[in-house]
Amino acid sequence: MKRAIAITASFTRDLLRRNEDFSYSESFIAITRKIAHALKNASFSLLGFFILIAIWYVVSRTTSGGLPTPVATFRVFWELVKDPFYDYGPNDKGIGLQLGSSLIRVSSGFLLGSVVAIPVGLLMGANAFCRKVFHPIVQILKPVSPLAWFPIGLVAFESASKATIFIIVITSLWPTLINTAFGVASLPEDHKNVARAFGFSKWKYLTKVLLPFSLPHIITGLRLSVGVAWLVIVAGEMLSGGMGIGFFVWDSWNALSLEKVISAILIIGFVGLLLDKGFSFLEKKVTWGS
Amino acid sequence: MSYLKIENMEITFNSLKGNFTAVKNIAFEIKKGEIVSVIGHSGCGKSTILNAIAGMVFPSKGKVVLNGNEVTGPGPDRGIVFQNYSLLPWLTVYQNIYEAVDAVFTKKSREDKDELTEKYLKMVNLWEHRKKHPKEISGGMKQRVAIARAFAIDPEVLLLDEPFGALDALTKASLHIELLKLWNLTHRSKTIVMVTHDIEEAIFLSDRIVVMNNGPAATIREIEEVHLPRPRNKKDIVNLEEYKTIRERLLSLLVEKVEVDKSDFYKGEVAQTVIG
Repeated sequence: MKRAIAITASFTRDLLRRNEDFSYSESFIAITRKIAHALKNASFSLLGFFILIAIWYVVSRTTSGGLPTPVATFRVFWELVKDPFYDYGPNDKGIGLQLGSSLIRVSSGFLLGSVVAIPVGLLMGANAFCRKVFHPIVQILKPVSPLAWFPIGLVAFESASKATIFIIVITSLWPTLINTAFGVASLPEDHKNVARAFGFSKWKYLTKVLLPFSLPHIITGLRLSVGVAWLVIVAGEMLSGGMGIGFFVWDSWNALSLEKVISAILIIGFVGLLLDKGFSFLEKKVTWGS
Repeated sequence: MSYLKIENMEITFNSLKGNFTAVKNIAFEIKKGEIVSVIGHSGCGKSTILNAIAGMVFPSKGKVVLNGNEVTGPGPDRGIVFQNYSLLPWLTVYQNIYEAVDAVFTKKSREDKDELTEKYLKMVNLWEHRKKHPKEISGGMKQRVAIARAFAIDPEVLLLDEPFGALDALTKASLHIELLKLWNLTHRSKTIVMVTHDIEEAIFLSDRIVVMNNGPAATIREIEEVHLPRPRNKKDIVNLEEYKTIRERLLSLLVEKVEVDKSDFYKGEVAQTVIG
C-alpha cells in the first residue's frame, strides 16, 4: 500500500514537472515574441523622436538664438531631474515637488469632479426626466474655457489655490458625466428584460447589470476627464501662481529660461501619457466583450 | 379546469406615429404539463403573445390568467428563454445561472443556491464550461445556458421565444432532445409555451400547435392537436401517418405556394443576363 502511494506520488510529481517544463517553454516563446514586438514598436517611436529632434536642432541653429538647441535643453533637463526634490524657499523648489503639488491638485479636482459626474451621469442615463432637465445645462457649460471659470472660483473660494481646483472640477467632469449617461442609456433592452423576467432586486440590477454594462463607458469618461484636468492644471497654475508645474513654466519664462520651459513641456507630456496609459489599462480590464 | 388561459386578448402599442395593434381576438387554454407551440410568419405577433404571458407586455383588452390569477407582471412562476439567449456577457456561465437563482430564491442559503446552479449546469452538460464567459462558447451552448437558467428557478411555466431559431439543424435537433429530457426530469409537470416558425420543431415537441394569421392585428387561424405518442423519436415519428397529416395541414396553412411552378422559371431576361 505504502509503496503504491509512493509510486503514485512520484509519478504525479513527474507529470507535474513535465507539465511545468512544457508551460515554461510555451511562455518563454510567448515572452520572446512580445519583447520582439515591443522592440519593433519602440524603434518606430525612436525614429519619430529622432526626426523631431533633428528639426528642432535645425530650427535652433538657423534662427538666431531664439530657440535653445536640444543639447543645451537636455543639459538643463538633466540638472532638473537630477535633484528633483530640493526646497530652497517659496521661489526655488525642485521639479519633483512642483510636479507633486500639481498632481495633488489635479487628482483632488478630478476626484471631486468624478464624485459629482458619475452619479449625475447615472441619473441622466437612467431617467428620461433628469436627462431632459440636465442636458441643456451640460450643453451650455461644457464648451466653456477653464480660464473663464477662474474669476468665479476666486470669488467663491477667496483663494487662488482653491480656485485652481475649482476650475479643474468644473471642466473635467463633463466627459465622465456624458460618457456615464451615454453608457447607462445604451443598456440594451435585452439585459433589462433579463433583470425583469428573473425579478432582480434594485441592488442586483445596479451591481450585476447596469454598472457592469456602463463601467467601460465610465472609465473611458474618466480617462478623457483626467486628460482635460491635466491640460487645465498648467493654465490654472499660471494664473494662480505659488507652486506647481504650470507656475514653474511661467516662472521659467519670466527668468528667460526657454530650456526650462521646454523641459517642463516634455515632463508635462510624459506625465499626461502615463495618466492616459493608466486609464486605458483600466479600460481593458473592465471591458467584457460581447 | 384550464391552467393557463388567455381570454379574448388584444394588444395595441401606442407610439408617436400612432397605434399599432399586434394581435387581437386571442383566446386559448393550456392544461398543466402541456407543451404548446405558437407558430406563424415573422411579425405575426407570436412573441407578443408570449411576452403577455410573461407579464412583460400588457393586453389592451382581455387578460391572461395563470392558475386562477390574472397576470399583472413578471414572476418567478414563469421562466423565459429569450430569442437571442440574453446572457449577461460580463458574467460567467455559472454566474449567469447563479444570479437568476439568487434573485428568485432569496431565502435559500448560499450552499443551496450553489447546489441548484451546479445541478442545472450538469443537466445541460455545461459544468466543465462554467468558468467561461458567453463570448467564449458557441451559440448552442449559450442557448443551453439560457434553458438551464430558465429551469433553475423551477418555474411552473416555461416560455420559449424562438429558442432554437439561430442554431444550425444539428445543434437544434440535439437541443430538442435536451429540452424534452429536462421536461421529463421534472416529471412533465412544467407547462411549456414556445414560439417558433419551424413546422417540424413544433410537431416534434408539442401537444398542440396554435397557428397564427399574418399580422398586423393577427388572429389565431387554427389550433392543431398533435396526438403523437411520447417519448417521441425524431427518426421514427416522421414515418407515422399522424405526423404526415399534421405536417401537410400546417404547410397548407402557412405556406401558400408549396411547389415551384412554371411561372417561376420564366424569368427570361434575368436568366440571359446571368448567362451573358
